[in-house]
Amino acid sequence: MTTIAAPLPRGRPRGIDLSRPVMLGLAAVLCVLIVLPVSQLAWHAVVDRDGAPTLENFRRLWSDPAFVEPMLTTLTLATSVSVACCVVAAPIGWLVARTDLPFTGVVRALVMASFVTPPFLGAVAWEILAAPNSGLLNQWYRSLTGAGTDEYLVNVYSMGGLIFVIACYTFPYVFVLVSNALDRIPSDLEDASAILGGRTWRTAARITIPLALPALLAGGLVAFLQAMILFGSPAILALPAGFHTMTTKIWSLFQYPPKPGLAAAAALPLLLITIVLLRGQQWLMGRRGYTVVGGRSGRPRPTALGLLRWPALGLCLAVLACSVFLPYGALVKTAFSRVPSQPVSFDNLTLQHVRFVLFEFSGTRLALQNTFLLGVLSATLGTGLALVVAYLSGRRAVPGHRTLAFLATAPVSIPGIVLGVGLFLSYTRPPFVLYGTLWILLIAYITIELPAAYQQLQSALKAVHPELEEASRILGATRLQALGHVTAPLLRSGVIAAWCFVFIGTMRELSAAIMLFTADTKVISVVIFDLNESGDLGAISVLGIAMLLITFAVVLLVNRIPGLGGWRPARPGG
Amino acid sequence: MHGTKFTRRSFLLASSALGISVLAAPLAALPAAAPVTPQLIEAAKKEGKIVWYTSVDLPLAQKVAQAFEAKYPGVSVRVERTGAERVFQRIGQEYSAKIHAVDAVNSSDAAHLLVWKREGILAPYVTEDMAKNYPPEHVDPDGMFASFRATLSPIAYNTKLVDAGEAPKSFKDLLDPKWSGKLVKSHPGYSGSTLTATFQTARDLGWSYFEALSKQKVMQVQSATEPPKKLSLGERAVAVDGVEYVFLQLIEKGNPIAIVYPSEGTPLVVGPSAIFKNAPNPNAARLFHSFLFSRECQQLIVDAGGLRSFHKEVKDKEGRTPLAKIKLMKEDAEAVEKQVEEIKSKYTRLFKV
Amino acid sequence: MASVELAGLTKRYGALAVVDRVGLRIEHGQLVCLLGPSGCGKTTTLRLIAGFIEPSEGEVRVGDRLVSSAGWAMEPQKRNMSMIFQSYALWPHMTVAGNVAYGLELRRLDRETIRRKVQAMLATTRMDAYADRYPADLSGGQQQRVALARALVVEPETLLLDEPLSNLDTNLREEMRFEVRRLHDEYRYTTVYVTHDQAEAMTTADQIVVMNAGRIEQAGPPEEIYYRPRSEFVAQFIGGTNILRGKGLDGRHLSFAGRALRCSGADVPAGGTIAVSIRHHDIRLLAAPPPGAENVLEARIARQVFLGSVRDYLVEVADGTQLRVVAPAEHSIESGSPVWLHLPPERCRALAG
Repeated sequence: MTTIAAPLPRGRPRGIDLSRPVMLGLAAVLCVLIVLPVSQLAWHAVVDRDGAPTLENFRRLWSDPAFVEPMLTTLTLATSVSVACCVVAAPIGWLVARTDLPFTGVVRALVMASFVTPPFLGAVAWEILAAPNSGLLNQWYRSLTGAGTDEYLVNVYSMGGLIFVIACYTFPYVFVLVSNALDRIPSDLEDASAILGGRTWRTAARITIPLALPALLAGGLVAFLQAMILFGSPAILALPAGFHTMTTKIWSLFQYPPKPGLAAAAALPLLLITIVLLRGQQWLMGRRGYTVVGGRSGRPRPTALGLLRWPALGLCLAVLACSVFLPYGALVKTAFSRVPSQPVSFDNLTLQHVRFVLFEFSGTRLALQNTFLLGVLSATLGTGLALVVAYLSGRRAVPGHRTLAFLATAPVSIPGIVLGVGLFLSYTRPPFVLYGTLWILLIAYITIELPAAYQQLQSALKAVHPELEEASRILGATRLQALGHVTAPLLRSGVIAAWCFVFIGTMRELSAAIMLFTADTKVISVVIFDLNESGDLGAISVLGIAMLLITFAVVLLVNRIPGLGGWRPARPGG
Repeated sequence: MHGTKFTRRSFLLASSALGISVLAAPLAALPAAAPVTPQLIEAAKKEGKIVWYTSVDLPLAQKVAQAFEAKYPGVSVRVERTGAERVFQRIGQEYSAKIHAVDAVNSSDAAHLLVWKREGILAPYVTEDMAKNYPPEHVDPDGMFASFRATLSPIAYNTKLVDAGEAPKSFKDLLDPKWSGKLVKSHPGYSGSTLTATFQTARDLGWSYFEALSKQKVMQVQSATEPPKKLSLGERAVAVDGVEYVFLQLIEKGNPIAIVYPSEGTPLVVGPSAIFKNAPNPNAARLFHSFLFSRECQQLIVDAGGLRSFHKEVKDKEGRTPLAKIKLMKEDAEAVEKQVEEIKSKYTRLFKV
Repeated sequence: MASVELAGLTKRYGALAVVDRVGLRIEHGQLVCLLGPSGCGKTTTLRLIAGFIEPSEGEVRVGDRLVSSAGWAMEPQKRNMSMIFQSYALWPHMTVAGNVAYGLELRRLDRETIRRKVQAMLATTRMDAYADRYPADLSGGQQQRVALARALVVEPETLLLDEPLSNLDTNLREEMRFEVRRLHDEYRYTTVYVTHDQAEAMTTADQIVVMNAGRIEQAGPPEEIYYRPRSEFVAQFIGGTNILRGKGLDGRHLSFAGRALRCSGADVPAGGTIAVSIRHHDIRLLAAPPPGAENVLEARIARQVFLGSVRDYLVEVADGTQLRVVAPAEHSIESGSPVWLHLPPERCRALAG
């Protein structure tokens, strides 16, 4: 046999352009991911057990005080959390982004640490700290003031306590949005005010703050939504305090005998509120005048705090003490104490919880494995999906890209526990029997985290000029090749950020998992929740700390992989 | 789905260990007892594992699992521990999705077993111990389940916070305003033991008792294993309920807790065990089931766990009040099963959660 | 209104002096252009004058007020200056009128006065029709006018402009140059104008300050800079030029391409290598050698380009040096043709070392 040298391919490189089918396929996946569970919810809300249409569920929802009260509680809770977060996060964001505050790196890292902390773990830690009688803070208070045994300083089992604990782990959302917005405001705009005679505070009041206001409002909205759809913290703190929120109420509807129809109906108001709020935000942000035009974003001149520098740092650290130092101190103490409410002493020191969690408790290893696997898979697949969607909608590559963008953001409006219900209803019967497998959890996690990843990548993509890609396509690359060769590498830091975001989100997730786990598919968050139910604080502390270490290790690792994290996009000089 | 039609009545569980039982089913109906054979052990080892859903306190469940694994190396036990009501919900959810993940189950709500039996998802299996060493009223006449454990739902208090002389003597005593804000209580919506105890207390004392109790600013927790822990932390002074075995465990570890068996009678909570027809590891399930009812395991749950056993050869531990000396409330799983929803909704209305 | 004086002004970042011992006096009412390539330190100098950064060494005085000295700068808001930024820095959340009114509000004028002044200024800048628009709705030229209006309305002592026209397209840029000059003639603020575009500087400036590598190369009126550049850099940067290098023969002549050329400007020291600048259009192309004229070189056309009003020739002289010559378009001389170049002595400027 002789070989003949193949002629050089002429014109376009050969091979079928799979771009279109791949993209359409992903679009279909997205529809299934989001439309299916939501339509199942809607369907179950309006039919009775025999499948006949009924509005009975809604009638009960509006007339039964057992539902009306949790709804009002939830609204109060979410509003308070949102206000508290803004009040705390906006000054810290400003101090970090725009002043000569010392140790801003440390402050940022600690805010990140509170973001990574699962809210339910924070709630457990605050139980240890601030339960009215056994809480460490209250014990100290009594021993310092000599107050009576029934007196307490703080009571975590109360509406106020719940608001406080949720705010501790929600304010990072506001912080990130506000400090990013402040970072992005071109320094020229402040300089222009200064040169016209605007003093520091005047410039802040008239220029900087108004320009950061949309971000603050957006942050307040995110905090509201987070507080509204949170399940773990209310389940841990509200029930002992004697009240329900909507999420715990929905969860209780799955007690025997389960009432999925009523749960679905109860979920819809949450969905509606979210959609209305998001619309409102779009309207607000879309208003003329809030888009910053052009502008040199040189390093802003930091505002000199003068003598206030150290008090300001103290303020930041005081806030972070509530979300990081105190809770982690409590967890570490509990992890190694026989009796958590007793002071640290040699007698009280023990490794029994560590031993129990790591060697005796049969559920630990499987749950760790599942959590890790799900975290990595959700982060990878979720980021991939978000990347393609961000690309398709950003570059208007397929008809209906607007719908795609909407679908990718829509899960923001689906509380985890509601999504859990929807997925449970969707994937327990043919053709998709996924309940009982890790797939259903994977779907849940990807769906829940998709909006965050999408937002990240969408804004990263905006920074990559389409001409870079067009240059690749004119040389013969398909859309997918251009995406892979040019756009994706330029987006690397955005992709890594999105990946970490989804990974952390998956580790924190409890509300959907609590509806969807089975014996084989338990995850750490559920194990911790179960342990809390039976009051095993020591074991929770050990597991919680282990979980955080894993999260931090993975995030650090991902950011250190050569060629990934070390790489920074070149910035054009100013 | 769980209708009111009841074809077979099981009065056995409706009786207490004191033998208040009205009627004992004929022994002849019981399937033949199955011994633990080397073939069974071999087959179990081939399956390699067994999944056990239980509502018993987690450390105790792990001890049982370890004892089993030590006796039958090569068969590992995966413990899935949550409150009985959640175990029940879980299994309901899984079976409705045709997922057969669970091999063996133990619930602190005997009514659950009645439901599962009626749904036909349990497998009959009578161990030698059940036939020889158990009172017949504690074994289902069809051999579907038997009373693995029993415990009480007494009152208890933290001895550092309450003097013995001050301590409540009865449920009614808890309505004294001096206990306002000092009580902790578990929830019948999450805990089977509490559901059973709530039923018995409401039946004997009336719902007016709970109505009055709900005004005492009670700290509401979920599982019946939690009030003892809140008590030992000193978070609350008095536990309205909570399972006796966790109280006993904590007392014997030196925690400052004392139990009060209320003068009106103490609710009795029987926790039966069963294996499933569609168990993924049927042989391991049988072997595990046999082990659960063996003298060895029963003595373990009594000694280490503070539970009560119906096994004839099991000895009570020193220092614990024998069952015979405690006034008990009458158990009635069947009635509990019929009133589940009513109990939960009434309770929720009163306690707001 | 006041003069602005820079003395020994230096700004260092690390070891790098971005602005290096700049000394300059701007008389009050003058418009001075800082002209230079990017990175020459002109914008930094402007920001030093504005007080956004403090000098490493040297001083800035406005009138007889010291406003900046080593390591210290009076805050920008206290300087009674105003500035137009390259990005215009219009506040996106305020309307055109709001932007313009801002500085007046800071000066606590009453509402009526503010309204009147804003109105008048918008009329002067021909933006009165857009008072209620937001900056995002305006074109680049309109934004530029708003920036001008905002800066002028406060009647500053000193007006600073940082490349204000660089974001506009060519036609608009030419139009705005005259606009800036017109407004300056109308208000006569002491003005410092930073640009890299020499045509812009020529059109607008009373004085041009050419900067390079952090230092002032030459300062003077546009004509002086153009006709009498003192350094090769200035000659190259302003208008484009041919540089002839040769050995100095006596005080007035140098040897180039085998001929002695007489030149003007700096003294030509005998024996040293010196550079002489002659602009493209100052060289005359002759088809035949003129009889007896001095400063004539023989050359050959290497390339010619028709540019509409003129022709741009590249010619090569005997020693291989290539020179650019701009000549009227009417006569075309073919590539390769021999020509004679006449370099008028008064146009040959010897440059200082």
